[in-house]
Amino acid sequence: MKVLSSMRRQRSLLNCAPISARQLADRPMRSAISRADESAEFVDQQNFDRAVGRVVRLIAIPAESAEWFSEKDLVPVSKRTWKNTLRNPAVLAISIAVAVIAGVFVFNFVSHLNDFPGSATARKLLAVAASTRPLMLDPVNAEAGTLSDLFFMKHGLEHYDVPEEFADFGTIGCRVFEDDESRRIAQIWVSEKRMQFFLFPAERDSKSGTVLRFPGWRYVHQEGWTGAVTENSGVCFMAAVRGGDKDLEPYLAKPKE
Amino acid sequence: MLGDSRKAQEVFHATLREAAVRAARGELPSEPFWLFRDARWRCLEATKSDLQPEPVELDERDVAPKAESQIQRLDPMQLAIWISAAPDPQRSALALFYLDEFDYREILDIAELKLSELSRFLAKGRRQLQAWLDSKFPQPSEV
Repeated sequence: MKVLSSMRRQRSLLNCAPISARQLADRPMRSAISRADESAEFVDQQNFDRAVGRVVRLIAIPAESAEWFSEKDLVPVSKRTWKNTLRNPAVLAISIAVAVIAGVFVFNFVSHLNDFPGSATARKLLAVAASTRPLMLDPVNAEAGTLSDLFFMKHGLEHYDVPEEFADFGTIGCRVFEDDESRRIAQIWVSEKRMQFFLFPAERDSKSGTVLRFPGWRYVHQEGWTGAVTENSGVCFMAAVRGGDKDLEPYLAKPKE
Repeated sequence: MLGDSRKAQEVFHATLREAAVRAARGELPSEPFWLFRDARWRCLEATKSDLQPEPVELDERDVAPKAESQIQRLDPMQLAIWISAAPDPQRSALALFYLDEFDYREILDIAELKLSELSRFLAKGRRQLQAWLDSKFPQPSEV
């Protein structure tokens, strides 16, 4: 039944086979013609149609009407609209890919917008803060500001000073350790909001070796922790707390008496 | 379609006038063949008041291998009149097909036909035209 219907359709297509090759855009038509190309009946039909077509072209068109058609196509070429272009699967796929790439680019750009010298180290130290347990630190009960002397005397660390905004906080413990780049990091745990302080060498210019300074306090974020970082005398100080900027803002804004 | 150049011109101008008016109103349809469909209906309307051919069954003959030489002897206006005398929609099918400006899908769209109908009208038209050619220019063997 299906074969019969297919043959009938093919016969129908052949009866409508175009006179000139320029009307051969349709694939089923091309396929039907290629199958029947050799048959004498079809060759006769094509010759017949071409001959009639040639005579039809000789039918005189009134001059007044003919001038409207001068060298112009009878069928207006349909313009490709924006809607049609956007619905094209290839265009759609490329658009989505470009959008994703642009999204990643914007995300990276925005996330590095607030970068500052030492921000990468600060983020790593926020991860350290998240994993630190009190047992890992040496118990010290003192004011945070007084630990500078301890770091200098015991570990030879110069300018490892806690800024005055955080100098009065009572400490629970502290330690000095080396990170994966063999930089010596001082870590202090204070009782206030279970905050942790980090003191680490500021980033330096790779060519000149000069400290890359930045003014004021800068925020970094990592895994739910927030750090406020400042630089002084080639040493960065970071106050880290679990939470957001709001948890640290009161301490940074507080005028020192 | 009409076999009459004066009527054809009237229809042509009426179609263009209507299109211009619709364009000025911003009411032009978005689909591409409305103008041709409109022109076709105007042609059919224009022939309604004409003398209608009697519904007779025309002779039919298989397309002959040497039809080409017969067709070459045809006067173009005679062919135009022969096509315009065919009953519609066969007339539309033949006129649009031999105009050689549209592919079969476009003809189906303009003449509002199905593929099987277009196929039947064209096949029948060829056979009838061949019979007419045979009667008009008999082949030497047929004499």
